[in-house]
Amino acid sequence: MRFFDPHIHMTSRTTDDLEAMSKAGVRAIIEPAFWLGQPRTSVGSFIDYWSSLVGWERFRAAQFGVAHYCAMGLNSKEANDEGLAREVLAELPRFAFKEGVVAIGEIGYDEITKAEEKAYQWQLEFAVQHDMVVMVHSPHRDKKNGIRRSIAVAKECGLSMEKLVVDHNNEETVQDVLDAGAWAAFTIYPHTKMGSERMVEIVRQYGPRRIIVDSSADWGVSDPLSVPKTARLMLERGIDPAAVELTTWQNALDAYGQSGQIDMEALLKTPVVDQRQLYHQNSVLRGQAPRVEETVPND
Amino acid sequence: MSVASRSSRAMEVLRAMLEPRLDARAQEWLALACDECSRLPDRAEVRFPTLISLASRKVPRGALEPSNSAREAARELVPGWNPERWTILDAARAMLVLSRAHLDGPQAVAILDEVFRHADVGELCALHRSLQLLPDNARFAWRAGEGCRSSMGAVYEAAACDTGLPCARFDDLAWRQLVVKALFVGAPVARIHGLDQRLDAELARMVLDLVDERRSAGRGIPPGAWACLGAHGGLRARDSMLRELDRGQAAGRAGAILGLARAGHADLVAGHAAGGESDPLVLAALSSARSARPSQDDYAHLHGL
Ligand SMILES: [Zn+2]
Repeated sequence: MRFFDPHIHMTSRTTDDLEAMSKAGVRAIIEPAFWLGQPRTSVGSFIDYWSSLVGWERFRAAQFGVAHYCAMGLNSKEANDEGLAREVLAELPRFAFKEGVVAIGEIGYDEITKAEEKAYQWQLEFAVQHDMVVMVHSPHRDKKNGIRRSIAVAKECGLSMEKLVVDHNNEETVQDVLDAGAWAAFTIYPHTKMGSERMVEIVRQYGPRRIIVDSSADWGVSDPLSVPKTARLMLERGIDPAAVELTTWQNALDAYGQSGQIDMEALLKTPVVDQRQLYHQNSVLRGQAPRVEETVPND
Repeated sequence: MSVASRSSRAMEVLRAMLEPRLDARAQEWLALACDECSRLPDRAEVRFPTLISLASRKVPRGALEPSNSAREAARELVPGWNPERWTILDAARAMLVLSRAHLDGPQAVAILDEVFRHADVGELCALHRSLQLLPDNARFAWRAGEGCRSSMGAVYEAAACDTGLPCARFDDLAWRQLVVKALFVGAPVARIHGLDQRLDAELARMVLDLVDERRSAGRGIPPGAWACLGAHGGLRARDSMLRELDRGQAAGRAGAILGLARAGHADLVAGHAAGGESDPLVLAALSSARSARPSQDDYAHLHGL
């Protein structure tokens, strides 16, 4: 099977992860701009981080046959440093239209402060003005309220609901998101919160329409293989294979494909690992022979 | 020809290459964007980089595939300019760069630095390819050197290959690093314009050191390494190439044969020919080594083997 993990922070992951993802059938990923586990202190480190999302990280992923897209934005946690946030938002237009930028994200609320709301609204208006998709990070505390508010503010700003993806949902929030007409994404966390087993039951109950599975793997305890593992469990537990494909591949493509930045034809071809192709370099390969023209296994 | 008229001639060449590749809508966007670039102020600002980025959303993906006559026109106009591997997007972005007002003025470096600083991979490639077309491009030698230090092969090739800028403008240190880096990243040395004109003893030493390192590590040697010595490597180079003839793969043996001929060792080439070599790649190298002194171009087909 092939998978699309539309939320993963590859900058925190190793080439071992990329190799495992490629072997497990992960064909494409989206890396949304987020924080680094601690707040940045200057606009320059945002710029270098955004640059790496459209440069080095895309290159690293391509070496393993994984198509890398990204979302650009100022995250909610760092929106609270208002002076810095102003500087950061002024730089965002430079990066929002780069190749492979499929959305503004991940943005939204963390503690639902005024400063967060200001940055969120600014970025929503920017997205509406440029007809872009928005990836919303929902807060971990006061989640249900945070999601309702995220949707309401997005509507106020004029964002059409098929352009809105709300992430980190659970059983308590999914109905609100689906009722609004937005896409409901679920992050599969190992050990805590949303596990694969709960995901199976959600798909059983709500069906596959507008539901998206992702890993949100980052620098914390997380699993870059969450999407293929959840797909396998869904199949084992008798979920219709068509529903599995929708929730782990096609829905994310439909949502983020609205950006026009995903070359479907290229993505549908059998991927080939060619580490000589496109970007030769020595920092991923340290003396190893490049892997050339190996077909990526399909299951 | 004045530098300014060379840039405007380069625009004509690019326009001719782009015409069959762009539909009416893309052509219209590009014409308007070029016009806007020509009216921007004489300082670094945000609109120019934005237009460079936006081009990716307005112009189709794919190879430029310039006609033979267009490639000929490019080569005649700017020594070393070979657009054979350009994309359509590269050419459109080069049009925007050449349209940018004030690139012949004192703010030119600052204006371009602003674009380079925030560029993604595709933008970097297009910008590096454009530098050779700019007036007084010695001003951009440091920037081009940054591209030649990149570990992303696409960026390296855009800055180092199929352009005459490094050969004409790099100092010895930057030039030698560029050549050795090609061997590291697996880029084709045959496409480094002017390689044959800028070989020297120090470069030969660096390349032979790399060859020894590779042998110690049990790794193969790119055939292009033997193109980087000329007659400057002395006995050390001769012995190293003889060892390659003795133990190397076919492409390496072919490269070493060409290298021996380039160093003037006609006797050794003849000796190897008499020794029962049967690989077609090496036989072809032997035949070109005996008819004339091989050039860097003779290494082109050995790249990647
Ligand atoms: Zn995230």
